[in-house]
Amino acid sequence: MIALQWYVPGRLIFYKERVLAAGKEFRFRTEPFDPYDAFRGKYVSLTFNQTSVQMKDSATWHEGDMIYALLSTDSLGFAKVSGVTKDEPAEDVDYLKVISGYVYQDTVTSVSINYPFDRFYMEESKASSADEAYHQALRDTSKITYALIKIHKGEGVIVDVFIDGIPLKEVAIQRQKQEEQVQ
Amino acid sequence: MKLNKELTELVEAGVIDQNTAEKISNYYANKTSTPQSKLVIVFGILGALLVSLGIILILAHNWDDLTRSTKTVIAFIPMIVGQALCAYTLIKRNDSTAWREACSVFLYFSIGACISLISQIYNIPGNMTTFLLTWVVLGLPIVYVMNSSSASLLYIIGITTYACQIGYWESYHVESYLFWGLFVLILPHYYYLYTRKSESNFFTFHNWFIPLSVIIVLGTLAKDAGELMFVSYMSLFGLIYLIGGTKTLHELRIRNNGYLILGSLGTVVMLLILGFDWFWSDLRGSDKPVAFYRTPEFITATAISLAALALLIYQKSKQSPITLRPAEWVFIVFIGIFFLGMTSPFVLIWINILTLIVAILTIREGALKNNLGILNYGLLIITALIICRFFDINIGFVLKGLLFVMVGMGFFFANLWMIRKKKNLVNPAA
Repeated sequence: MIALQWYVPGRLIFYKERVLAAGKEFRFRTEPFDPYDAFRGKYVSLTFNQTSVQMKDSATWHEGDMIYALLSTDSLGFAKVSGVTKDEPAEDVDYLKVISGYVYQDTVTSVSINYPFDRFYMEESKASSADEAYHQALRDTSKITYALIKIHKGEGVIVDVFIDGIPLKEVAIQRQKQEEQVQ
Repeated sequence: MKLNKELTELVEAGVIDQNTAEKISNYYANKTSTPQSKLVIVFGILGALLVSLGIILILAHNWDDLTRSTKTVIAFIPMIVGQALCAYTLIKRNDSTAWREACSVFLYFSIGACISLISQIYNIPGNMTTFLLTWVVLGLPIVYVMNSSSASLLYIIGITTYACQIGYWESYHVESYLFWGLFVLILPHYYYLYTRKSESNFFTFHNWFIPLSVIIVLGTLAKDAGELMFVSYMSLFGLIYLIGGTKTLHELRIRNNGYLILGSLGTVVMLLILGFDWFWSDLRGSDKPVAFYRTPEFITATAISLAALALLIYQKSKQSPITLRPAEWVFIVFIGIFFLGMTSPFVLIWINILTLIVAILTIREGALKNNLGILNYGLLIITALIICRFFDINIGFVLKGLLFVMVGMGFFFANLWMIRKKKNLVNPAA
């Protein structure tokens, strides 16, 4: 009983640490908001800019399938999904395991993507300020918001979330100080 | 002390002698002084529940100042404490129900806390289905290693929530077949309670939780031929009612026999719902799937109906003379009515007559057993039937009023008659 209760969380930690140690960094453009999860504290919910990919092949795509998103970087250095495939790519290719969403078929096929990371946990006291800062950054089009993610063999782990290169936690602390000064 | 006062009064009145009074007094004194009184167990479990929930909330604060490795170690601490307490209980306090139950509850929650905190540390997405499944599977051994019934109840709640999550609430909802496998794994513990501890409160709780879990989850099997689930549910309520009539369960007080109450209530509610025309007109108008007889719903309905029929035949073969209790045969009649209803609109009348028969039989049972509760339950069924029919039958207010007056008088006179009958039984000379 004890071995099983240690094995499952231990295995989870082992895989995530392996991704963090050996993974390649990608920066994904995001948009966040802040729901409250009573069981797991506060987190910032992440929505990624690129939500679908257009495919020219005639493969039959189904909603809810596990597929492989092929990754590349754009001219600004942000991650971009250049295509999806049903077969696991070779090791030298950068890819991420995702779940296929809504499939739209016309002259080209558009497959929407559900990323395997959708939340970034913050300290309870900072999540609200971080969220406000993030929303302000989104309204201000000059600010760039993104999540830094390490990816290894299709698995991804969020390292941090940034506004204009500053970690979200630091932005939240700065904002809290500003609010205290105003009061 | 109230008991001593009563005993003195009884001795003075000459009802019991001094010796008997002392024996009674000693019996209760010994009974209340046992360390494993029910109250200790209840507060032990409640305490463990609150402490573990409190720890989860404290850790959920997610301190930024702590490093990832520190947070990971902290996530394991409640589980280590829980495992250590369980080991101590097994070695030193195995006889104490309060220790076993409280430590098991604490360990059960600490496993959930550990998994969710690891998810938080590594920002793993909130997939409730995987989380619940991992939690219940890791929690199951506690039931058998610690011989803990509260862990068993938590397990039943866990697998039911898992099945609802996957079958009802998630956007890509699928049939939760795995639930039935997980459900079977808890039955050995239930059997242990049934054979060894049929008088315990834990057995009573299981008598409610187990049928409720099956009732809730059965609906997740509905796919293309959803209307067949009405047959499945009617047979399930029949089966549950019949299980409630088996020897050990039948000897329990009615409120401790969840099977009997849920089976009866379920059957009556289904009959009342099916008394409306909308279901039958939908049934006649709907297109049947091509392989109607191979759908999971048809297989489910057949399997449950056969199981209920087999149990009914088994129970009746042991009875002499054979008596039919209300609600135990309704599912058989309903199967016929359902298939007739696919083409004929007249089944609506049969359903209403069936409901009325069940109500009358319930009143009769109440009268025979001198049970006011059952008698009034039967009268309530009639009242509910009349209220339901008022929605779709166009009759005048005078007639409606008269019907209500009649049912109201029925309640009044039936109760009066029953109370008088009970008085006569207690004091025949009066």
